[in-house]
Amino acid sequence: MAQEDKLFYPDTVYVSEARTQNEVFAEVSKDLLAKGLVKDAFLENIMEREAGYPTGMNMAPLSDRLPNFAVPHTEVEFVNTCRLVPVRLLRPVTWHDMISPDDSFDVSFLFMILNDDAEAQVGILARIMDFVNASGVDAMVDFFNLDDPKSIYDYLVGHFPQRAE
Amino acid sequence: MIKILAACGAGVNSSHQIKDALEKEMKARGYNVSCDAVMIKDITEGMLAHYDIFAQIAKTDLGFEVKIPVVDAGPILYRMPAMAKPVYDAVEKVIKDNGLS
Repeated sequence: MAQEDKLFYPDTVYVSEARTQNEVFAEVSKDLLAKGLVKDAFLENIMEREAGYPTGMNMAPLSDRLPNFAVPHTEVEFVNTCRLVPVRLLRPVTWHDMISPDDSFDVSFLFMILNDDAEAQVGILARIMDFVNASGVDAMVDFFNLDDPKSIYDYLVGHFPQRAE
Repeated sequence: MIKILAACGAGVNSSHQIKDALEKEMKARGYNVSCDAVMIKDITEGMLAHYDIFAQIAKTDLGFEVKIPVVDAGPILYRMPAMAKPVYDAVEKVIKDNGLS
């Protein structure tokens, strides 16, 4: 399935060995900043935002086989572009639940949302969930276990929905 | 017009998804609903006074007493009908119980 609007770019797909949330934020933010995709205050803001309003998505309500993931993002003013940044975490990292912030769990994948226009791309989170729901558990287990950037990029370009249902 | 306020940490993505879903479903159920999406940190007591329902993603301490009905709308984010329906039902119950229109 071709993408109408380009959300994924091969130079911003990451596989990380970070052990903590702040480590992975620092690692990815450094590269995003070098590429001019985020502003200087992005790292500080995304850490602050995640601490106050966590973005972990607990997949247990859908299937106990699905790995959990998170959708970290900031306010639009700290970002220079619109793209979705996949980050595979080779070591599970503790994340807090978006819906029940007192709860935490391990996540092995991030969809970091860079969104510089609140109105233009309001459906990104919906499309992430549609991608997970439509793909099926077996396919998602395989996808979340991919561990090289090219495979992750190719899969997303081939399967990510063009728009929210 | 029934006015709903949705909020999330960044005021984008999560709250906009709640907004879009509530407006679509409540319209389908025959209600005239308008939903705004904002950052949680921007919510004030005065702002909330202009709304009929607060649709929060997670339990939120705003630092003041919320005097309008609150609905936990987080399950909408999963985009699963079975998880979203109880949220829509809760909003509809608030509308009916409070005679909103």
